[in-house]
Parts: sequence; C-alpha cells; structure tokens
Amino acid sequence: MNFENIKQLFKQAAEKAGLEEYEVYYSSEESVSTETLKHEISNFSFSTSGGISFRCVYNGKMGSASSELINETVIEELVERAMANACVIESDDEAIIFEGSESYAELPPMSSELPSTQHLKSVSLALEEKLYSLSPMIVDGTQTAAASFVAERMLFNSYGLELSNKIGNSYMMANAVVNNGEESVESFELSRGVETDAADELAQKAVDSAVSKLGAGKVKTGKYNIVFDARQMRSILSTFSPVFSAKNALLGLSLFAGKEGTKVAADCVTITDDAMRDGVALKTTFDGEGVATYRKDVIKDGVLTTLLYDLSTAKKCGKTTTANGHRGGGAISIAPFTMCIEAGSLTLDQLFETAENGIYVTEMKGFHAGADAVTGDFSIECAGFLIENGKKTVPVKTFTVAGNFFTLLQDICALSDEVSLPAASGFTTFGSPAVLVKDMSVAGE
Amino acid sequence: MISRKLAEELISVALSTGADFAEVYEENTRSNALRILDGKVDRVTDSLLSGVGIRAFLGTKTVYASTSDTSREALLRCAASVATAIADGSADVKVHLTEKIYPNAHPIRICPSSAEVRFKTELLREATDAAKGYHESISQVSGTLLDVDHITLVANSEGLYTENRSVRTRMAISAVASANGENQSGSCSPGRCMGLEMFETVKPAEIGIHAAKQAITNLGATYCPAGQMTVAIENGFGGVIFHEACGHSLEATSVGIGMSQMAGKLGQQIANPKVTAIDDGTIPNAWGSINSDDEGNPSQRNVLIRNGVLESYMIDRLGSRRLGLPMTGNSRRQGYEFEPTSRMTNTFIDNGPDKNEDIIASIEYGLYAKEMGGGSVNPLTGAFNFAVREGYIVRNGKICEAVRGASLIGTGSQILQDIDMVGQNLATGQGMCGSSSGSVPTDVGQPLIRVSKITVGGR
Repeated sequence: MNFENIKQLFKQAAEKAGLEEYEVYYSSEESVSTETLKHEISNFSFSTSGGISFRCVYNGKMGSASSELINETVIEELVERAMANACVIESDDEAIIFEGSESYAELPPMSSELPSTQHLKSVSLALEEKLYSLSPMIVDGTQTAAASFVAERMLFNSYGLELSNKIGNSYMMANAVVNNGEESVESFELSRGVETDAADELAQKAVDSAVSKLGAGKVKTGKYNIVFDARQMRSILSTFSPVFSAKNALLGLSLFAGKEGTKVAADCVTITDDAMRDGVALKTTFDGEGVATYRKDVIKDGVLTTLLYDLSTAKKCGKTTTANGHRGGGAISIAPFTMCIEAGSLTLDQLFETAENGIYVTEMKGFHAGADAVTGDFSIECAGFLIENGKKTVPVKTFTVAGNFFTLLQDICALSDEVSLPAASGFTTFGSPAVLVKDMSVAGE
Repeated sequence: MISRKLAEELISVALSTGADFAEVYEENTRSNALRILDGKVDRVTDSLLSGVGIRAFLGTKTVYASTSDTSREALLRCAASVATAIADGSADVKVHLTEKIYPNAHPIRICPSSAEVRFKTELLREATDAAKGYHESISQVSGTLLDVDHITLVANSEGLYTENRSVRTRMAISAVASANGENQSGSCSPGRCMGLEMFETVKPAEIGIHAAKQAITNLGATYCPAGQMTVAIENGFGGVIFHEACGHSLEATSVGIGMSQMAGKLGQQIANPKVTAIDDGTIPNAWGSINSDDEGNPSQRNVLIRNGVLESYMIDRLGSRRLGLPMTGNSRRQGYEFEPTSRMTNTFIDNGPDKNEDIIASIEYGLYAKEMGGGSVNPLTGAFNFAVREGYIVRNGKICEAVRGASLIGTGSQILQDIDMVGQNLATGQGMCGSSSGSVPTDVGQPLIRVSKITVGGR
C-alpha cells in the first residue's frame, strides 16, 4: 500500500471517529549486507521493512499506536487503539499536534538505489584479502562486512502538514584478529561508503590497531591524567546525553535542572546539536513532531545555553521547542540529533605532551551498566596506551576509569583539533575530539 | 500465519538453485508498555510487529532475507532473492511439511494483551506508590509495565512446521533519591514468561520498595575504593558474572568461528571444581524460558560445566554445522529482522558446597556485591566488565558500610578458576541480553559465591 492510500484511509478513519487533531508517521527501509569469513562470503542478508504510527488528541490527551502490518482493517484498529490509549493518560503534558514551521531545509538529493549485491560481495572480499595481506599474524576469525540502506520517513497531520526525508548510508567494517602465538586480540573499524578504493585504508587501520594492542600490560591503581580518544569521548557524551533533556530536568532526573545560563563546564568546552551537520551519516530536516531542525549551542564556552525541548516540555517551561522530539513507536522523547563537543586547538601529540604522564584510553566497554545518567557516575572497563614523558608508549588493558560526568565536563583541560563522527549511526549521533582530563581514578593492579 | 501450503512453496523456491537447507520464520508480536512517571500515567506504547524471514544454507554459507510485507507475492520475491544469492544451480525440490505441536510448559492464566488497562494501571501504581512512600528523600519514581505476546512459526526443508506462542510480563521500577544536590538511583525489574498472574507471587509493592531502598542506601554510601579485592557476589542477578564472563564464550556464535577463549576446550577443567553451570530453557514460566527455539527445536536443559569441566556449548543450526556437534535448543532471535544464532536462555551456577555465612566470614577485607547491574564481554579475549548496583565493604568477616559506583572487571578464564566458594541459595534475576540476533530475555542466576581476587573499579 502506498503512502497516498494510507493517508486517505487514515483521513476517513479519523473523520469517522470524530478526531480533529491527528498525525500519521510512516517509515520504510531497504537494506542489504554481506559478511566474509575464511575468504568466502559467509552471509548475505537483505531486508525490507516499514511501519506506521498514529497519534491523536482525544479528550485533551495524546494517544498513539503503531503497526508494521498495514491494511484497511489495521488502520481502523490503530485509530481505535490510539483513542483508547489516550483515555489512560493522566499526565498534564499538553497534547500538541504541530501546525508546521515557517520553512524547512532541504536534504541533498540521494539515490534511492542500493549498491549491487555483486559490488558489496566483491568489496567485502577485497577488504578481507587486504587484511590477510597486511600481517602474517592475521588469523581466521577475521571478518569483514559491507552494508547499505535507504529509508524514507514521512509525516502528515490534520493541519495539512506534509513532510518527507529520504536518507541512506553505506559502510564497510573490518574486524582484524591477530595472534602472536601468545594471545589473540582484535580491532573493529568502520568507514563510510562501500568504495573499493577506501578498503585499503580501512584494512590498514584495523590491522595497525590490532597489532598495537598485543602484549598489553597492566596499570597500577591510582590517579592518572587521561586522554580519552575521540571515539571514547563520543561514547561518554552519548551515555550521559539524557542529562540535556528538559523533560528529565523537570522530573528531577537531570542534575542540569535549573542550570540554564550558568557555568557547567570548563571554558574550552562548547557542545552543539545540529541535525544537518556536515559529515554526519543521517541528516534530518524535521524532528519527530514535524518541527524544522536547526543548529544550536547547548554549552557555549562552558555555559549551559539551553536544554533540549520538544513541544509539550517547551510549553510547560515557557520556552520554544528546540526541535529535539524523537519518535519511538508512537511516543515522543527528547534526544539530540548530532551532538558534538567542538574541537580545540591542539594536535593529538600536543595533547599527550600536555598530559605529560598518564593513559591514552582507546577502548571503553560496558557503558550500559557502568554509568548512570541520573547520578553522572561512571566506572568503566578500559584499554589503551601509557603516556610517558609526553609520548604515547606501550599498550595497557584491564583497568577501569571512574568519575562523574558533571565533574568531568568541568575538568576538561584541552581538546584536540578534529571532531570525529561515527561512520554509521541512527538519528542520534555523537561527535567529539580527543580530550584531556587530569587526575582521574584508575583501578588496576 | 503462513499456511502450510505457502510455506512449502516458499521453501521449494528458496531451494531452487541448490541450497541444502531452507527455513521460513514468521512473527506477529504485540507489545504494550504502560509508564507511570511522577505519579501519573504519561505514556502508553502499543505496537504490532509483523514480518517474515527466509533463510537458506549451503554448507556454512547462509543467506537471510526479511520483509514486513507478508503478501504472497512479496514472500515469493523474498524466497527467490534468497535462492539467487545462495547458489546458481538448478534444483526441483518438493517439500512436504508436517505440523509438530510441542507441549506448552509455560501456561498463561491472565493474558496481559486482553486484560483491562485499568487493572494493569493499578498493579503498576501499587509499585510506584510504594517506592515514593518509602522515604522522604525519594524524589522521583518511574515505573513501566511491559507485556509481550509473541507468536511465531518455523517451517523448514526437513519437513518441520511448528507454531509457538510465548507471553512475557515485566515490571521495572526505578527510584531516585536526592539530597544536597546529589542524585542516587535504585531499580528492580522482575519478569516472567507468564501473564499478569506473576504479580500474585511477585508483589508490586515489594518491587517498588526494593528499588527505593537501594536508592536510599546509595545516597548514604561513599565511593567504593579501587583495587584488587576478594569479592562475595550475592545470588539472583549476581549470576550476570557467569553470563558475561563465561556464557557468551560458550555460544556457538563465537566458538564456531574460533573467536572464543573457550573454543576447543570441551572436556577440560576450565573452572574451579565447585562450579557447575547450567543453561535450562525448560524451567516453567521463567523469564528466559522457551517451548521451542527459533529454529523449531524443543528447548532443553544443558549442563555447560560440571564440577569445573566444560561439558557442552550452546549450539544453533549453523553452529552445529561449523562444530560438527548436535544442536542444543538454544537458537534465538529478537524477531524476523534478525537471523537466529546460539543464545542463552536461563543460565545459572548451581548450588555448591559452602555455607553462605562461611563465605562472608572468610573475607578479611573485601567487597560484598549485594546486587549487580549489567555488563559486557569480549568472547575472544574473555575480558568482561559489570557494574555493582548495591555494594558493601566486608571487614573481618562482617558486612559493613555501603559503597557505590563500583564495577568489576577481569577475564572469564581467570575468574572461573578464582570462584573458590559456592553457596547454597540459588536464585535468578532477569535481563535482556544483546547479541548479533538482537535482544532476547534471559535469566541469570547463582547462589552467593566468593571470588578470591578481582579488580574493583572505584575511586
């Protein structure tokens, strides 16, 4: 069933039910991926999926329901279910269907065609071959993948607002496993695009990274200057990003409550959110409620300039939405789109020199358990390299770095001069340079 | 669901270019989640997932295609694409499917999808009110009541055609305690492969109080010191230690391609002789239980480690081909968009020989991890981490002051040897386990255990 038919059926069903304010959100996606193992294509997958969610204002409350099965009967049921669900809501959040922004940006045109399966197969195999050619220590278990997807998201509502975005992304993955006779270690690297030319660089990066981890030693428990590499700092920002939600602040679930306009971070820290940021894999011109997205400073030179709002939270706080409503099924929650800690001025080597002695953390695992956005506390398993006399030296592993996000923001001493963005991500993306934080607690031997 | 006749047709198409095995999986999942935040119902999510996945094998090469368009034409296209991608020969294979009906070991008395919303709201409110009323420092309580009704069909070229229905219910309460500009949190989230009758034995108010009490304890706690210590890990969700430190490394997903520290170790002493570990998907109404797995095999009880000796891996169909070992009823997937792989169900360390009081009394200085959070592992290196949600310092054999913000890290092969005391109060806890085939419900469990030495991440 195409979107035009879907719209008409919803219009009829909503009219029959006497609904005046409603919204339909439709998304569809096609994806394809290949994986290699032991010099062969071990897996080839493709999928097509689509789903619809319906929201309506009924008796002053917002109700929603969603389904992947789409037909006339289901559409009528969705309307009934959304109305029934609205009857259960007790919250006094205002139910708002958005009339539309003055203008919306346009996404650059993109092909709605997926790369050919033959191309994906050959690029994954070429990538794997390159991995094996780069080091005699590469062993079986080494894997590569190439994947691509195209998707469309559409929104229409009872105010006549009609929006759509076509998006897509492709990436290659190299997982290099090396064994030196004593231990096996791996390194997992991603790069955007599925061009054969880029495979060599990705393979080199994965192998270099895996080999550099061999022979990692332990560190002694104590206080260290820590340089988080960009990827780890992105993970930290991602884990604690719920603290920027105005809804969480209202509910007492963010320690940034009441802190707008105050100093919350070191002067060198600026954090932005921009759904259309250059270099990000997925851009969007409208948020989950149909509001036009725009770039904003969240922290500027250490001052918390704004929290992130959706329509109802903004109304409650006497503010304007920052266009940060995200769809999760029929429900809206507040999250960033592309949130970045902006770059500083030092090269990575200069960051090491500034740190003098400490640890360069290049792997952190277990954020879902070892960190709590409500308290800001974290204690995370890490691996990386020692920094000795201003230089990165030997690999180290099996230690934890513990701290608190709110304190960490104030303790950032310096940032590297390049923001790194992930090669693949969903609608919420995080970017960061490498950062130096002094005197953090490390548990090791 | 897909008729037997259409499934036969789809399998024949998938086999038409020379695949040696084909399978059709269909899913219809209705999920409801009711949330109370700040004392009021603020969110009801209600969704229907529906789709089909078709898979073909040629040796250990696999092709998987999934679609949410379940029309006959779309499914035939899906099967044809699988055939084109897996091989380029020609084969005319006729398949006859015979329906198999497994006995239902997990009866449901009050199916949540048909229960009155008001009844569910009352249950949830009982928990959130109890949490809020527990202490004046409890500043916020969030509660979710989740229910999932998951109907699946598996048909394959070996003639199997079987349907399965599993119903799961879970209540998650999280409480925040605040004082002097500081927040601390506590949570409790029991679940069962059961209907709303689960709350006849798992009382909602107790769930709320458990979460609130933990938040208050953490509010009064100091930061856990860092370093290597002897640690006693309590029962229930403490079993996450085995799940992360060892369980994932015993899945054919990693063992089958040599990417596990446990590969090639069957029959070897890999753990302290006091350790016997089991994966059992047949426990009636347990959170991680299944009647049949997502490849249509009946669930079973697998002893993984007996008295420290590695006895079995957890093996799905592809893993079985890779390892040359039989399947163990452990194939699982989140839904139709995921290709199934070997996963845990209800995994636990069995009761051991030590008295619980002797375990605590044996520790001169260390940590008592009363409740664990989640964790993660790299099966290749065995390096794992997990969080301590509620912990206490043990001094001279006595449990003393509460400490917060601790995590435990180590490697699986080492900790299995270092579990040197195993107590006798086996209990389980519930979690969602993430891996390549998505997020699936799993129970973890153990009695109180002692780990002689482990790195405690603190400050």
